[in-house]
Amino acid sequence: MTEVASNHWLRPWGRGFRDAVMLPAWVVGLSLMGVGTLARDVGYPVEVAVLSTILVWAGPSQVLFFASVAAGAAWSAIALAIGFASLRFLPMTVALLPLLRRPGQSMAQQMLIAHCVAVTSWVEALRRLPNIPSEQRVPYFFGFANALIVVSAFTTFVGFQLAGVVPAPVAAGLLCLTPIFFLSSMVAGIRGLGDTIAISLGLALAPLAGWAIGGGFDLIASGLVGGSVAFLVQRWRMTRGSAG
Amino acid sequence: MTQPIAFLDGPWWPYLALVLFAVLPTEIWRWLAVVFARRLDENSPWLEWVRLVAMALLAGVVAKLVLAAPGALAAVPLTVRLAALAVAVAVVLAFRRKVMLAVLAGEAVLIGGAVWLS
Repeated sequence: MTEVASNHWLRPWGRGFRDAVMLPAWVVGLSLMGVGTLARDVGYPVEVAVLSTILVWAGPSQVLFFASVAAGAAWSAIALAIGFASLRFLPMTVALLPLLRRPGQSMAQQMLIAHCVAVTSWVEALRRLPNIPSEQRVPYFFGFANALIVVSAFTTFVGFQLAGVVPAPVAAGLLCLTPIFFLSSMVAGIRGLGDTIAISLGLALAPLAGWAIGGGFDLIASGLVGGSVAFLVQRWRMTRGSAG
Repeated sequence: MTQPIAFLDGPWWPYLALVLFAVLPTEIWRWLAVVFARRLDENSPWLEWVRLVAMALLAGVVAKLVLAAPGALAAVPLTVRLAALAVAVAVVLAFRRKVMLAVLAGEAVLIGGAVWLS
């Protein structure tokens, strides 16, 4: 690689890394401390806890994995539950990839980008990338996501070491960081009525569907219904707005 | 505790279990998305629909994590867990979208409630 080309990549990468380390990385990192605690509870080595952050890179999947093993769930049930809870990555990643599309982009690079998709990188990328020149977006995104992953791997390790040392209310607080943080960052990223409806319906319908349908399909059903209603309302408002 | 699958058991079991039952079921959707996204136009109205479905799914995950709480969180009363979420949302809306502040406020309610009620 020539010096010009490496600068071309390194500077936006560094900016992304710095923007994440300034704050978002520590919020995600804190929310993944609970995963370390859960991993220790089931007697798995610290390496597995840290690897779960790097390889799974999805708080709810990691929480589900260690909590289900602790509860004695069947392996097939664990994989199914995680699979259903992770279905969100399909629409999330599909919505993000076009923003990061480059001419002649390799399959490997797209898969690496896809691996980095998680709540924070997704919410922040959708918010920040449109204001960044398209040739700088990919390195910026990688810098941002790499900072999140590095900091979180570290905090997962710390969470593992702290397990058993922290009092019960704090342990509960660490486990509640994931949902509190997810909801806060989603609400912070709201761009219009459609987003508000999607979030509200998602929150309300998931427990209802869990009771009515269950078996993992409840999340998909509530997501499809909530998202579609939000989409229709948004479209309806847009056409009305342009007509009037 | 879920016991290891007998014929695969060994010192590497926790790593294998992580890859088979956590990494694969999560990662498969990201890979499928790469395949789907290639066929989607950047300006397609479907992308907006896809984004909103993703939002609703994510909110559903939040609801599930709080209602069917894991580990030590299950010992905290449901009302305290819900209050923590509500306070976090209120702070994000009131203080110009400061996520860190919202998380701290929500956590204060949760830990405070857990201490006070135990």
